[in-house]
Amino acid sequence: MEALTEKNTNQTPSKPPKNMSPWAIARRKFVRNKLAMTSSVFLLIVMIASFLAPYITTVDISRVNLGQMSLPPSSEHWLGTDKSGRDVFVRLLYGGRVSLLVGLACTFLIVVFGTIVGSIAGYFGGVVDSVLMRFTDFILNFPFLVFVIVLNAILFGHLSGVWVLIVVISVLGWGGVARLVRSKILSEKENEYILAAISIGCRPSKVIIKHLLPNVLSTIIVQATILFATMIVAESGLSYLGFGVPTEVPSWGNMLSTSRDPDVMQNMPWTWIPPAIVLTLTILSINFIGEGIKDALNPKSYR
Amino acid sequence: MEHYLHSKVPLLEIKNLETAFKIDGNYYNAVDQVSFTVERGKILGVVGESGCGKSVMSLSIMKLLPKGAGRIRGGEVKFEGKNIEHYSEKEMNKIRGKDISMIFQEPMTSLNPVFTIGYQIEEVLHNHFKITKEDARKQSIKLLRSVGISRAEQIVNEYPHQLSGGMRQRVMIAMAIACQPKLLIADEPTTALDVTVQAQILELLKDVQSVNDMAIILITHDLGVVAEICDEVMVMYAGEIVERSDVRSLFKAPKHPYTRLLMDSIPKMDVEEEKLGSIKGIVPSLKDMPRTGCKFANRCPKAMPECTELKPVLAEAEKGHEVSCLLYESSKTGEGTNVT
Repeated sequence: MEALTEKNTNQTPSKPPKNMSPWAIARRKFVRNKLAMTSSVFLLIVMIASFLAPYITTVDISRVNLGQMSLPPSSEHWLGTDKSGRDVFVRLLYGGRVSLLVGLACTFLIVVFGTIVGSIAGYFGGVVDSVLMRFTDFILNFPFLVFVIVLNAILFGHLSGVWVLIVVISVLGWGGVARLVRSKILSEKENEYILAAISIGCRPSKVIIKHLLPNVLSTIIVQATILFATMIVAESGLSYLGFGVPTEVPSWGNMLSTSRDPDVMQNMPWTWIPPAIVLTLTILSINFIGEGIKDALNPKSYR
Repeated sequence: MEHYLHSKVPLLEIKNLETAFKIDGNYYNAVDQVSFTVERGKILGVVGESGCGKSVMSLSIMKLLPKGAGRIRGGEVKFEGKNIEHYSEKEMNKIRGKDISMIFQEPMTSLNPVFTIGYQIEEVLHNHFKITKEDARKQSIKLLRSVGISRAEQIVNEYPHQLSGGMRQRVMIAMAIACQPKLLIADEPTTALDVTVQAQILELLKDVQSVNDMAIILITHDLGVVAEICDEVMVMYAGEIVERSDVRSLFKAPKHPYTRLLMDSIPKMDVEEEKLGSIKGIVPSLKDMPRTGCKFANRCPKAMPECTELKPVLAEAEKGHEVSCLLYESSKTGEGTNVT
């Protein structure tokens, strides 16, 4: 009984102070979420290490070193070397750079484009809505994998390796966000404050940007974190199959794809286990962060 | 010149306004041939049951009808002599909030939950005037004080969820009068509030009206509210005006059977009644509206055979008291319709 009451008092939500903005309340809730905070710290470390890779190591990643092929981990090569004699740890750092860049850039492009299309369709409705949504359906109906492979082949040579993939994934990926934003805008614009905003002389652009989007933003942010994780997985998957970033560019997916060789798979686990672990942990932590944000932005949950 | 205009042209003049909604591909009139004028500095009450077209009429004036579903089919809306019916969205945006502003029924949802009170009031000012942030802030505090909010300095930094319904409605009024509009449309401003707060808000509306010398169109289904603050009343039924007069003569001698029934359904303190009077049936939906005769005929206790065939005309049955009912000779002939 005593234990129960104690537990209860511990769980009693400490109500946030009265004069806080919705965002401040959300931030407070997020900071108190241990899992989400740990994940954030982990993700931050991975990001910093990856993007600062050129400053951390001075090794040339593309140089093949025949004298140091297939070495197991040692003090010189922390995670050993691969079949071409390239340092796995260094490639892991550089690979993170590519994987995270693809994830971030795709997420950004998809969210921006999807939000623009979705909010315009949702706000104006009627013909505008029909046209934009049929176009969205059209995009959504593309078989993703096939078109990524085809578009990749067409665009190859016009853009530098990684950006081809980013553009291709983004062009095919914004449909879901557009639909989500549209549906949110549709329900949000029924609120009287939107009518009130128009009645005080706000232009449509202002109504959308200043009044509707801030109210839909929480959904978009949560969707963006999920997308971020999905896009990293997509990049890795495509690279593993050989249709992602060019093979000479290190990415986590490309590193994993070396394990297609049975010899590497059996005898050189140090080349593919580290990228697999980092990839898994990164995606897990992004998902935890997404959950944390969702909780933080949900006014009904107190943590 | 300005003075000349003031004396001659009514502030708002509506002629044969028709607003229709699209149901299953056909348009049905929710507001049917409504004509009236609003003079400067006067309060006009619009009364009627739910679904009789009061709100649609006010949204038509502001051109805020839901896109796609409703549209103005005909008639004129003249504001200070200019027909704003044909104004583009851009031109309307210059008027909205500045010359005509609106207060809505639901104070709980008519403020944006993610912005502070101050921000939302300042937005109106920024929309229509070139004004610095500091001045706008000062002005919004002043406005909040003028609508009777005492902790104005703190309230500007607070969010809508921290305020009560009555407070929010005060904030809405502050927003609506921020640019000192000439016409304020209040769409059931007190319906969602409890009775004591209702009285305060009405008092406040009357105060701001006299201070700013603006006209108010007060839409309500509460005859008590009308009696309290209006100068003129218009009773609407099924998108039409059935009776119009000044408040005194309407309450003294209601003419239309519908108005009488509305009055009978107000609880009275001095009369002991078994059961409160009510009007049987509901306003028919737009699709089921009678096409010929009087639209109220099927619910009217005094209906005569010709009521379902002959359409009554809104005409003066008495000086300054217009009614649209075949019980009155004037409505049969339409004589006096041009005496407005």
